[in-house]
Amino acid sequence: MWFKEISKDSDVVISSRIRFARSIKGYNFPHILTTEKKKEIISLLEDKLKGTDYKVLKMSDIDDLTKLSLIEKHIISKEFLNESMGAIITNEDNSIVTMVNEEDHLRMQAFEAGFNVDKCYKKLQEFENSIESKIEFSKNDKYGYITACPTNVGSGMRVSVLLHLPALAKVGLLNKLLDQAASIGVSVRGLYGENTSGVGHLYQISNQKTLGMSDKDIISGIKAIITSIIEQERKAREILKKDNIKFEDDVYRAYGILKNARIISEEEAVKLLLTLRLGITMDIIQDVKLEAVTSLLVDIRSYTLKTILKEDIEGREENIKRAEYIRKEI
Amino acid sequence: MKCQSCGKREATVMYKENINGAKQEIYLCENCANKMGFMDFSSIFSPMFVSIPEFMEMERKPICKNCGYTLDDYAKTGLFGCEKCYETFEDTLDELFLKLHGKNRHIKLGEKPKVKAKSTLTKNESKTQEIEELKEKIQELIAEEKYEEAAVIRDKIKKIEGK
Ligand SMILES: [Zn+2]
Ligand SMILES: [Zn+2]
Repeated sequence: MWFKEISKDSDVVISSRIRFARSIKGYNFPHILTTEKKKEIISLLEDKLKGTDYKVLKMSDIDDLTKLSLIEKHIISKEFLNESMGAIITNEDNSIVTMVNEEDHLRMQAFEAGFNVDKCYKKLQEFENSIESKIEFSKNDKYGYITACPTNVGSGMRVSVLLHLPALAKVGLLNKLLDQAASIGVSVRGLYGENTSGVGHLYQISNQKTLGMSDKDIISGIKAIITSIIEQERKAREILKKDNIKFEDDVYRAYGILKNARIISEEEAVKLLLTLRLGITMDIIQDVKLEAVTSLLVDIRSYTLKTILKEDIEGREENIKRAEYIRKEI
Repeated sequence: MKCQSCGKREATVMYKENINGAKQEIYLCENCANKMGFMDFSSIFSPMFVSIPEFMEMERKPICKNCGYTLDDYAKTGLFGCEKCYETFEDTLDELFLKLHGKNRHIKLGEKPKVKAKSTLTKNESKTQEIEELKEKIQELIAEEKYEEAAVIRDKIKKIEGK
């Protein structure tokens, strides 16, 4: 699975994704589209993709646990959960996933581990081309690709990179940097939890504007910003590493708890795993693999854990199983 | 207070609008406010009350002949109803797009490269594509006077077609 891999700049970048929003010509946008017409779109796609490596799965045919696990992995949106006439088009490893009848008829997404925006773009463009050769999209010379929401019109493209920026936060430079990024038209969102600092300083950075710019320019702009943030995070990590016993202590404590706890909540586990991840990328901890921690960050999420263990556990029981699972993996 | 648009999330953004002299305050969640293009993202970090965008004052009369959408509907959902809406509301879009994107025209969309990903082809399509590629190769080889190699590829094509 792409989200368990270690790739380019994985010390700072968790994953990259690109999304294309596309509308199919001749249909009203999904939020006012009749059930019949939505069905028609799904059938159309099923027909066109028959015999390819892509599967069309109706949301109504996917069990709730799997759906919730897909949300945890940020593969489908929360809003999409209740779309009974929705469907997803996916390849074997979930690296190219399209939501059908979400806000737009098609929300095509490509995912890669690490800082791999170009690879995402290439794969998604290939996928898009093959769909566009069979189905006509709404587009025109004036506005480019037409989308339900005017904030996506033009390229219909959103490039997002998920970053782990704990060191910048610890040295107190994070907010300034993120404010700067926001001021030049880049969107910054904290992941996990409602407040923006989130748990463990995971941030999703993406382009905000989509009109009047070529895909290439959007991508090179966002890449330049991310590259600069990565450099600064690495510098901050160097600063932390210099005889900072307190920081080293945090890392070893996180490791100790994860390796020995008998009962652990999702939130605590995520927080400690991110600290451990940082410790591994900084060579403080050597006997745990980055891959193991990266996998765990996905697997110990509440619904994903349940799909792995194939048990519908909750509360205390879930926390016990989670601790067990982590001990087994690291 | 709950968001007056979706009714689900907590409202953190207020905007004032002025309809025919009657002032109205609307409370929205960040999500809905964002959808309507009200916020710059820096404000996500310190949710604050933002003020009225002028495009809300735009002419409310036009109705999309295709889907029946009006600008009031747009203001409520942050979404248009269909692709024809972009023609119906064209006059107000220039201003809106300048606000959202800093531009109101897209660049010319590039020509699509012809080559398709193998994974999205049906069996017949990938067969056809493979044959086309081989035929091109034959032409190249003939141009280079490599007739023997061209013959080998010709046999290969026959084999694929024969299956
Ligand atoms: Zn709302
Ligand atoms: Zn319309």
